[in-house]
Amino acid sequence: MNHTPLAPALQDVAEQALAALVAQGCDAAQASARRSRLTELAIIRNAPALLRSTETHALALSGIWGGRKASTELPAVDSLTPAALAEAAAALRDQAASAPQDEAHAVSHGQQASVVRGPVEPDLDQLAEAVGQLLAFRAAHAPTVTVEEGGAEHHHRSACTLTTGGSHLASAVGWYGLVFFGSAREGAHTSSFDFAGGECDSLAGNLPMPQRFGIGLAMQALARSVHTRTLAAHFAGQGAAAAGDVVLMPHAVAGLLAWLRGQLSDVALLDGSSLYRQAVGQAVASPLLTLDSRFEAPGLVPFTADGFAAPPLRLLDAGRLTALTPTLYASRKLGLPHVPVAADGWQLAAGTTPLATLLAGVPRGALVGRLSMGRPAPNGDFSGVIKNSFVLDGGAVGPALSETMVTGNVAQLLRDVVAVSAERLDTGGFAMPWLRVAGLHFS
Amino acid sequence: MKDPTATMPTALPAAEDLLELRRHELHKTQLTMIDGSLSQHQRSTEAGLSARVRAGGYWGFAAAPEGADRATVVDQARRNARALARFGVQPAPTLPGASHQGQHRFSGRPPLPSSSAVQRLQALNAFCRQRYPGLRSTRLMLAEEQHSKWLSTERGGDSLASIQRGTLVVVFVAEAEDGSPVQLGQHQSVKGGMADLELDPEALAPMLDELHGHVMAKRHAVPARGGHHTVVLAPELAGMLAHEAMGHPCEGDIVLGGAITANLLGQTVASELVSMVDVAHTWRGQEVLMPVYVDDEGTPAQDAVLIDRGRLAGFMHSRETAERLGQAPTGSARAYGPTDDPQVRMRNTVILPGSSALADMVASVDDGYLLMKSTNGQADSTTEFMFGITLGYEICNGKVGRAIRDTTVSGSALAVLKAVDAVSDDMHWDASGYCGKKQPMVVSMGGPALRTRLHVGGE
Repeated sequence: MNHTPLAPALQDVAEQALAALVAQGCDAAQASARRSRLTELAIIRNAPALLRSTETHALALSGIWGGRKASTELPAVDSLTPAALAEAAAALRDQAASAPQDEAHAVSHGQQASVVRGPVEPDLDQLAEAVGQLLAFRAAHAPTVTVEEGGAEHHHRSACTLTTGGSHLASAVGWYGLVFFGSAREGAHTSSFDFAGGECDSLAGNLPMPQRFGIGLAMQALARSVHTRTLAAHFAGQGAAAAGDVVLMPHAVAGLLAWLRGQLSDVALLDGSSLYRQAVGQAVASPLLTLDSRFEAPGLVPFTADGFAAPPLRLLDAGRLTALTPTLYASRKLGLPHVPVAADGWQLAAGTTPLATLLAGVPRGALVGRLSMGRPAPNGDFSGVIKNSFVLDGGAVGPALSETMVTGNVAQLLRDVVAVSAERLDTGGFAMPWLRVAGLHFS
Repeated sequence: MKDPTATMPTALPAAEDLLELRRHELHKTQLTMIDGSLSQHQRSTEAGLSARVRAGGYWGFAAAPEGADRATVVDQARRNARALARFGVQPAPTLPGASHQGQHRFSGRPPLPSSSAVQRLQALNAFCRQRYPGLRSTRLMLAEEQHSKWLSTERGGDSLASIQRGTLVVVFVAEAEDGSPVQLGQHQSVKGGMADLELDPEALAPMLDELHGHVMAKRHAVPARGGHHTVVLAPELAGMLAHEAMGHPCEGDIVLGGAITANLLGQTVASELVSMVDVAHTWRGQEVLMPVYVDDEGTPAQDAVLIDRGRLAGFMHSRETAERLGQAPTGSARAYGPTDDPQVRMRNTVILPGSSALADMVASVDDGYLLMKSTNGQADSTTEFMFGITLGYEICNGKVGRAIRDTTVSGSALAVLKAVDAVSDDMHWDASGYCGKKQPMVVSMGGPALRTRLHVGGE
């Protein structure tokens, strides 16, 4: 099915829905209509296996009556008749009537923005070429690797959000994605799983697919990870390192920063479990860390779910926290400044230390690809099994590691970063460097 | 709920070697109350029609919104499968498995009106505030999720499968001596909806008192000592161990992908005290929390015995993974949402109870840990697994001692299960979380208490 880039039908539906809510006497309301399409050419166990195309429609409604709010989402756009919209609005009013009054509920006012970007329709030839390249690279350079799941995808999402406060946000964004998830095997020995992937506006261009998003490097690293040892075994006889330095690879860095962003968001702020409630303006991380948004990265839209355009944001400025990021509701509830942030899209500034130099500076430790762990506690405590990781011995990258855990505190870890690589991994949704962190505990 | 016959085909073309048509509805209700404020009050519905075709050894899948023309959806799936012919000829052996006809619904209590759900959360919040004044915060999350799938296949499968679950999560946030936040949650899950949950504060009081006692103990928690330790996993954790440690490595697609279990069928992988089953729908005469009578390929669901008294006995299969490994399908191909294609997924994965008493298992540990609540877990192709621990205590000379701070435990599933030297005679079931594997999935898990050795993260 073809849609014009900024489908007027979505705006029509959102307008009708908003009118239906107003007709039910709401004080404020928001209506968001969207269509999403996916075309996925999937690899399963080293072979193209599935072509999947899906389309979903949704209409999300929120209404506030006398400070009482409810939300609903319907699985249709085009087939909604005026009678169906009126019925949905009446049901939402009834749902809201049961909620407690809360003056913090509100909708956005005066937000006007539109985004049109990326390919509207999938190019099946490009998807097939991308899959072919990934499989050829595997066969030539990492033959022991099994691509368990992977492939190439095209997405297109169009949406229109209107509020009774006069906000109008429209978007029509298309993008491509590449995905790799797999492991390597030699005889009875198997590596851990690893994954790589990302989003881009186009699959065209001269950059081969395996060189995008670190996919080829991940496959080759897996092939070197079939035979492993523990950190303690590697350093046996040398006084096994109970504490040491780690170099966190970009995916591990992204995971830890997700904890920080959670601490700055609604639930942690509302329930009092955030460590950073009073920390705006304070140094909460190493001065080497500067964290910026990239809300307009491929596949992303710089809008919030509660109807705000999200302008660029520097969240950490040389380690100093610049803002908390509550939604409109939480900001009104807690009396905090409202700082809109999109659903995803962050980049940590590159440092000045070449990665090779950064690694060479670690006499004894680990190069950590991924931390497999429970969610860090609200106080930042964590311990995790290091996966897709290697010994660092005398500044050189050694054998792959297994059965090694690292323990620390994320809040402290952010302060203990002592070097940031000049190189970054850019997956579209994030761009992260490698970080060297001192003083983590191994077990 | 709409009449499925309104959109289901009366006859399916048989040009392909496999064709499935599924109409799928997913309804969710979610309420979140933080200290009396209702921050989330949301209902949602996903619905649509999907078709999956296997032609020339390739799969084509298409999904469209509610109201789509079924012939158009089938045609798109067919064109998708045929488009992959550009990659060359694929072997296309006949896939095994019977076809199921029947309808399976759960009839619980009448749905809980929104007003009643909110009132009960308010009452629960007020009860907690009055009873536990020292807490920094009380967070309550009440949710229900209902899946209905009408499936028709060219092999004659014709079924309605429905799964419903209701969940209540209570999270207490307190303050440690140093002022930092300490948090602990308790999950309750039932088959059915919110109405089937126990929401009366007085009835929940013993559970709430216990949760409060634990979070108060966590205010003074000490770090765990890192390394391998003897641990007693409370029944709440055994299901997580079953799911992560040997559940994922026994999924047929993971086995085909190179999991270490591929070469271990028939071999000893656990203590003879350990038996493990992925239950389809009924255990000891009772329907389980996530009953699957028919999977999303139309295969009648059967229990998959994974470990029988310590020996690796079998895997979970779709039709395709069963054919590839020369085994029988188990009815384990499941799709989470209307736009998802079926994948091999767990259903109700349990370690079977033994004969020991939990108190005796703890009393016989000189130096170790009692681990009681977990968060998320992960599995690996190596069978090295991990899960987060949010509640645990030291065991010193057979006595439960100080609480420990949040940590992570890990181990090789084979080593950990082989080290099991006691299995309790009780059983805990839970269906409150999601399993993640490309798609989310509602699953249940369960088991008794286990005593074994694990790697505990710490200093």
